[in-house]
Amino acid sequence: MSEKKSSKGIKDIAYTLLDKLGSWLLIVVIAIIMTFSSDKFLTSANFINVLRQVAVVLIAAIGISFVILGGGFDLSTGMNATFAGCNAALLMKNLGWSVPAAILAAVFIGVVLGTLNGLVVTYLKVPPFIATLGMQYIIQGLIFITTNSMPINGLPESFNVFGRGYVGVIPVPVIIMLIFVAIGQVILKYTKFGRSVIAVGENETAAKLSGLNVNITKVAMYSFCGFCVACAGIVLASRMSSGQPSSGGDMALQGIAAVYIGGTFKGSIINTMAGTLVWGFMNNALNLLNVDAYWQKVVLGIIIIAAVLFDTFRANLAAKQKK
Amino acid sequence: MEDILRLSKINKSFPGVKALTDVDLTIKKGEVHALVGENGAGKSTLMKIISGAYTKDSGEMWFDGKVVEQTTPKESEEMGISIIYQELNLIERISVAENVYIGRYPFKNGLLQWGEMYKNAQALFDEFDLNIDAKAIVRSLTMAQKQMVEIIKAVSINAKVIIMDEPTSSLSSKETESLFNIIRKLKANGVAVVFITHRLDEIFEICDRMTVLRDGHYVGESEIKDITKNEMITMMIGRELTQQFPERSSEIGEVVFEVKNISDGGDKVKDVSFGVHKGEVLGIYGLVGAGRSEAMRMIFGVDPKVSGQVFLDGKEIKIHSPRDAIKHRMGFITENRRDEGLFLRSSLSANVVMVALNKIMKNGLINYKKEYDATDGYIKKLRIMTPSNQQKAMYLSGGNQQKVVLAKWLFSDSDYIIFDEPTRGIDVGARREIYQLINELVADGKTIIVVSSDMEEILGISDRIIVMHEGTVAGEIKKEDFSQNLVTEYAVGERVDQA
Ligand SMILES: Nc1ncnc2c1ncn2[C@@H]1O[C@H](COP(=O)(O)OP(=O)(O)OP(=O)(O)O)[C@@H](O)[C@H]1O
Ligand SMILES: [Mg+2]
Repeated sequence: MSEKKSSKGIKDIAYTLLDKLGSWLLIVVIAIIMTFSSDKFLTSANFINVLRQVAVVLIAAIGISFVILGGGFDLSTGMNATFAGCNAALLMKNLGWSVPAAILAAVFIGVVLGTLNGLVVTYLKVPPFIATLGMQYIIQGLIFITTNSMPINGLPESFNVFGRGYVGVIPVPVIIMLIFVAIGQVILKYTKFGRSVIAVGENETAAKLSGLNVNITKVAMYSFCGFCVACAGIVLASRMSSGQPSSGGDMALQGIAAVYIGGTFKGSIINTMAGTLVWGFMNNALNLLNVDAYWQKVVLGIIIIAAVLFDTFRANLAAKQKK
Repeated sequence: MEDILRLSKINKSFPGVKALTDVDLTIKKGEVHALVGENGAGKSTLMKIISGAYTKDSGEMWFDGKVVEQTTPKESEEMGISIIYQELNLIERISVAENVYIGRYPFKNGLLQWGEMYKNAQALFDEFDLNIDAKAIVRSLTMAQKQMVEIIKAVSINAKVIIMDEPTSSLSSKETESLFNIIRKLKANGVAVVFITHRLDEIFEICDRMTVLRDGHYVGESEIKDITKNEMITMMIGRELTQQFPERSSEIGEVVFEVKNISDGGDKVKDVSFGVHKGEVLGIYGLVGAGRSEAMRMIFGVDPKVSGQVFLDGKEIKIHSPRDAIKHRMGFITENRRDEGLFLRSSLSANVVMVALNKIMKNGLINYKKEYDATDGYIKKLRIMTPSNQQKAMYLSGGNQQKVVLAKWLFSDSDYIIFDEPTRGIDVGARREIYQLINELVADGKTIIVVSSDMEEILGISDRIIVMHEGTVAGEIKKEDFSQNLVTEYAVGERVDQA
């Protein structure tokens, strides 16, 4: 029963590489183009800048990855993040809570809201798109009620470390981001929960018949998502040194985009990181090239679609070449 | 007789696998041609090349005397080739009739003629004496009924060649007989049939000629009347196979697993009761629709039961979900590997360890070495043909996928295992390995229930057989009384024991 390896030419290897690299390749392409177009691009300051800019979205995208891998969807993450930032600010500013206590409470509320999403989707069987759309509005309403739609400024200096601090030359948010990537990757690859999420996302019936706890897995992935986005919201508030009621609205869709651009379905959180970095470097490139802010949106929209198309195209090409 | 279809020097590779090497195949007009070979020999791949689902790397194909370049499945259908794929391809959420006429709905003045469509489809089922409602939603059908729908669909296209890739793997003797009647009719009309099966007796009953593939190579062809079953097996596996059903010497103990009065409240399962002894293999036979799988699904907590109790070692246990059952050391290999058994996009190793993740944990984390070691063990033991333990399950051949599902439950160390059609799609050689494994399990004191539609298998591996008919247990047969006739009499309802 021998398996004959098909002869591997240079072409084969090239295409395999293409397939393996995935969206990292896009980053390389952007980097090469930018190196020749702008002398400000290839500097460590600029790279650190990009990392700092993507940190918040990537922290949220880790949680979003789990929900999408598990066959779910979450539109409420942006609002959930914003809410966490505002809650922390309110607790510190208006109620005089200590920084750690305020952060813990704000993150806890984020986890509760994520869990609610999970419960509604799993037990009431509301489609995730609708359930989390509803949740998005509910949270937005709560934010306006609690903050009166006004920013909460003047937060303690020790709180601002999470968004503005540095360890050496590395910004603290980047360190937090890397910790989240590592945690996400370990959970996905090395825990029963990670396995269950992938199994449930792929074939819920088979997962149930294999004795996995499908319902708990589904609820827990939304809870974990709530945890990640709330943490992202804290970092964002810290970076702005303010609880901004209208700050994180875009985050939900950016996170989802990152998951698709990066091709997280291949089963790795590293892909989510790549997807977020594509976004970050693209933004950075457009800024350095002085593209008008309004046009930037148009270009970014095209990039999302193109990246996913490119991914399909690349996979097909690689498969075809290997045959 | 004239050739209707001829293939010459066909080659096809997938990443890491050379599936076909210089394969030839000649099909004559109006013949029933068996294509045989072990799991992963390349049968389905060759058929998909004919149907246009796959592109060949090289080689030539003639149909009806003309050279055929690459076609799409639609084009080959129009040309006169229809195919029943090994894995069912019906759309679950729509009706049977819609599935039969998909892509060629009857329209009049731009409107879909529902009435006509239902009528025509029903006429087809009635013509072949099949008890299937054309208006039924496909999801509500059993595997075997779905398979019959696929067959009718392929037959209703006026094709010159019909390819049937393991059409009988989920059928019991009665449906198989219906299928053979259909095939005989087709043959009388000059239609050629390519027939793939791992149940070799069927070949002697219905086929005229055969071609053998091994490891992606053409091995030979022969008239069926010129060959014996043993010669056929030797051609397939390259060696002789001794004794299809290995001897078993397990000690049969007390009744350890018992179910009482299982009912679904409707008429699929009515008051099913039986017990199984430690170290025993209990065979459950019945025709399609007898309620065997349905009863097993209720026992294992997959589908809700209206009444009934399950006892392990004399103590009643409550099972509300498969998870409960698994906690009580039960295992259940369902008949539908693709929808209920496999995670197609996951790797082979991820599939194997899915039930018993606890066994591959080390310090609270998944240990990949343990996962790979366990998987490699089963790849060797069950002779799973794959380039690596990381191959996605979707890229394995049908029989090899079935072996993965078996491996998953073997790895789970369950004590009470229900096998629903365990050897569906598995070749003769590997089948023997599986029977051997079942022997090892009972020798270890485990309790085994085998649901099977394969008469030879049920008689060959059971210590005792219960036969179901229309949702009830019609009778129980002890080993010394085993006979095909007796099993059939119970199965068709000609004989019923009043319990
Ligand atoms: N899409 C695919 N991608 C990669 N490998 C494939 C693919 N389809 C088939 N193969 C491989 O090609 C070989 C032949 O597979 P094929 O399905 O033709 O076998 P088969 O003779 O039909 O076996 P079975 O009796 O189990 O159905 C196997 O090794 C299989 O793993
Ligand atoms: Mg096959």
